[in-house]
Amino acid sequence: MMNKTKGPTMLSSQGISRRSLLITAGVVGGGLVVGIPLMSGDEPPPPEMMSEHGGYIPNAFLQITPTNEIHFYQPRAEMGQGVYEGMTTLIAEELDVSPDTIIVHLAPVHPEFKRPGSPAQGTGGSTSMNAHYTHLRQVGANVREAIRQAAAAETGIAAASLIVSDGKVVGNNQEWTYGHFAEAAAKQPLPENAALKSPDEFRFIGTEHNRLDAWAKVTGEAQFGLDVDFPGLYRAVVKRCPVAGGTVKSVNTNAAASSPGVFKVVEIFNGVAVVAEHYWQARKAADLLEVEWYYPELANTSSAELRQQMENALEHDEGLEADKQGEGAAALSQSKQVIEATYWTPYLAHCTMEPMTCTVKIADGNCDVWVGCQVLEVAEGMAAHYSGVPRENVTIHSTFLGGGFGRRLIADYVAEATAIAKASDVPVQLVWSREDDVKHDRYRPVSLVKFSAGLDDNGKIETFVVRNVSPNTGAYFIDDSIEAAFQGTIPWSVGDWLSKRGYWLFENITVNGGVVEGLSGNYPCPNQEVRHATVDPGLPIGYWRAVGHSCNGFFAEGFMDELAHSAGQDPMQYRLENSTHSPRMQTVIKQLAEKSAWGNVAEGRYQGIAAHESFNTPTAQVIEISVDNQTVTIHKITCVVDCGLAVNPDIVRAQMESGIIYGLTAALYGEITLSNGAVEQSNFHDYPMLRMDQTPTIEVHIVDSQEHPTGVGEPGLPPVAPALANAIYTATGQRIRELPLNKAFKFS
Amino acid sequence: MISFTLNGETVSTDAPADAPLLWVVRDIFKLKGSKFGCGAGLCGACTMHLDGVAVRTCILPISAAQNKAVTTIEALGDRENPHPLQTAWVEHSVPQCGYCQSGQIMSAAALLATNASPTNEDIDAAMSGNVCRCGTYPRIKAAIHTAAKMQDESLGGES
Repeated sequence: MMNKTKGPTMLSSQGISRRSLLITAGVVGGGLVVGIPLMSGDEPPPPEMMSEHGGYIPNAFLQITPTNEIHFYQPRAEMGQGVYEGMTTLIAEELDVSPDTIIVHLAPVHPEFKRPGSPAQGTGGSTSMNAHYTHLRQVGANVREAIRQAAAAETGIAAASLIVSDGKVVGNNQEWTYGHFAEAAAKQPLPENAALKSPDEFRFIGTEHNRLDAWAKVTGEAQFGLDVDFPGLYRAVVKRCPVAGGTVKSVNTNAAASSPGVFKVVEIFNGVAVVAEHYWQARKAADLLEVEWYYPELANTSSAELRQQMENALEHDEGLEADKQGEGAAALSQSKQVIEATYWTPYLAHCTMEPMTCTVKIADGNCDVWVGCQVLEVAEGMAAHYSGVPRENVTIHSTFLGGGFGRRLIADYVAEATAIAKASDVPVQLVWSREDDVKHDRYRPVSLVKFSAGLDDNGKIETFVVRNVSPNTGAYFIDDSIEAAFQGTIPWSVGDWLSKRGYWLFENITVNGGVVEGLSGNYPCPNQEVRHATVDPGLPIGYWRAVGHSCNGFFAEGFMDELAHSAGQDPMQYRLENSTHSPRMQTVIKQLAEKSAWGNVAEGRYQGIAAHESFNTPTAQVIEISVDNQTVTIHKITCVVDCGLAVNPDIVRAQMESGIIYGLTAALYGEITLSNGAVEQSNFHDYPMLRMDQTPTIEVHIVDSQEHPTGVGEPGLPPVAPALANAIYTATGQRIRELPLNKAFKFS
Repeated sequence: MISFTLNGETVSTDAPADAPLLWVVRDIFKLKGSKFGCGAGLCGACTMHLDGVAVRTCILPISAAQNKAVTTIEALGDRENPHPLQTAWVEHSVPQCGYCQSGQIMSAAALLATNASPTNEDIDAAMSGNVCRCGTYPRIKAAIHTAAKMQDESLGGES
């Protein structure tokens, strides 16, 4: 963190420090800097980048210059989900200015930018809009009120008689800009609880408008991590052990080091890096490296054996209790009808369009990092540790993320880039290839699940039992993050030791919630039991879009369909009858029945439904297909979502479309397999992506709601695979309990 | 020494003949709008025009550009003077993460240059080499239709 200085500070023009630059700029700009943090108890200075613009800086988020520029320091990572647009809309609404008049910056590390309710500056879990909806509106409202008060004091016009809107203050037939009162506002205390607009006063929230980042992204101007460049910057590629966790035993660098353009070959913690003038030089030279590896235990595992181990565990390891209601599994024996089924999903890679990349410059006691990542403090801690530069001298420069989906929660690429910059003594941009990306991801875990359900005479669910076998995502996240998050407060070795306790914890003591989430809960019944047993060969895993829900939604909603058919009931109606605890889900399912014309399709067309709540957002889908000679054609996907108030309905629809296509890709094709511990897939030819010609019509309907917004980045994904598998069952009578679906069917 | 025109300007480079055009444009000529996605011609993020034809530049050796015209997203249009596709892309809020969109737009521009009113099937055929992990395909398709209409109207207005 930067030095902590309280309140306005006047500094001499000599000996300009980072802090004084800020103040000086503020004074020169005609306003003053006041640090009034909204969330933290202490008062850190605003981010250094604000010094460029000067003016009124009421907090870390907003800055109003005397020339009436409004700068917003947008605190969440923009990875496509639309926070750049959404967060700005919240601020704009309460400042009462159009969102497109605000100059948006991607925020650096600063305590005020931590997500409300979270200890970190992280973006994930479909949380941003939910967490910031009231928070950022309050920031905007307070600043608008400050402008109003300052204008009243300066003009003598009663505050209530002033109109503060669209960047102008109007009163007594006179007109000023917000910026005109920036300096005066800075001299007054910032109001803390200015009244928020009521929904009927909204001008921007709830309306559709084009994404603010669209122009930059259609002209090639938007800066991603890969686009960072400056004179003297070298490119680096890393040769890693084919088996994750392996380390260098010996290396012959002769051929690589003498390859054209190569500046240096350096060994780092997990491999050998080639540093060259240009990327393709580094890439070609890396192919010439001859490396012998120390292989980890993972090298003893291939996919077939892993499956066998997991099946053995399902049979013999009762695991840990994750949830128990009523009598749990013991009640099964009392039911007339017991239905059982076992489901499976494989490991998956994220495959963000932009492979991992990070630029690091270590010079003059500072470490500058240019990166798009989802948890900034972890990136900062990694950079501090691997550069040896004190954390307060590390600066993270945020870029747009060329996709996140959970992959960029992990800062392994920041660690690598920093280690290479340190070892080679020049600024470097680390560029992963697609092969690096597919082979060295933090994968969505493999999962095996067995359901047992007891039904009463009427087919109603009395008892619901789930046994899950998988590795524990949370353990890897802790291992990947703890020492970096706490870098500088506890010794790295202690943090590293602590970070490895998660494996033991989740295997022996408590169930990792992210693994079992969504296995039960859509349809509560008197007796429930969820148990989890750990089988983990050691392939690094992580958070993949929708996390546990990504596979558990497929399991739970596929099995629900089986129950409906066993009970002889319509799958839509059966879900309605078993979800009476959730009025929101009931509304979603009822609207879906209508919008999808459920049960009323042309001859030869078949429908499947899935309804799943994730991240507090009930979402349900109907998929309409036809099947011809084992070839499935997907005609249409109808989606209904209740995300509370839709701040920008068009972005909500876009996120549903996005989750559906991401989920459909995995459902049809996604599978990462291991051979002697090494990932067998490498690029889009053997880890295929859904393409435009395979994308069906998608229709999204949003439940009309004024409730506090819930997330939309992930909830569109979980229902896709089960809705499709359920449609295939309707069409063919063949029940699919494993993904990917292309093992059983072709898709046109 | 290999010479070609880059966005209308004649340039030359001493990069080795097998250096991919993408990296020559990005690393040497510092135009960063074209992206690296797969390095194998499988995703289209690197798409540029070579004499008006959409090409995957991550696998196209610079020697193939000798004496030819290379066009990148930077020359297609800007905010003040946009290509109809760029306007349509913004109207439909197509980009999410945005990383693949330069390549998507360059593929679409090559399509519209030879087919002024493409059908859905034409669009599928021309665009299926471009991957988008954010799943913007439905909006891309709609935006191409919109741009075709815009282009048609502006031509109609001139005649």
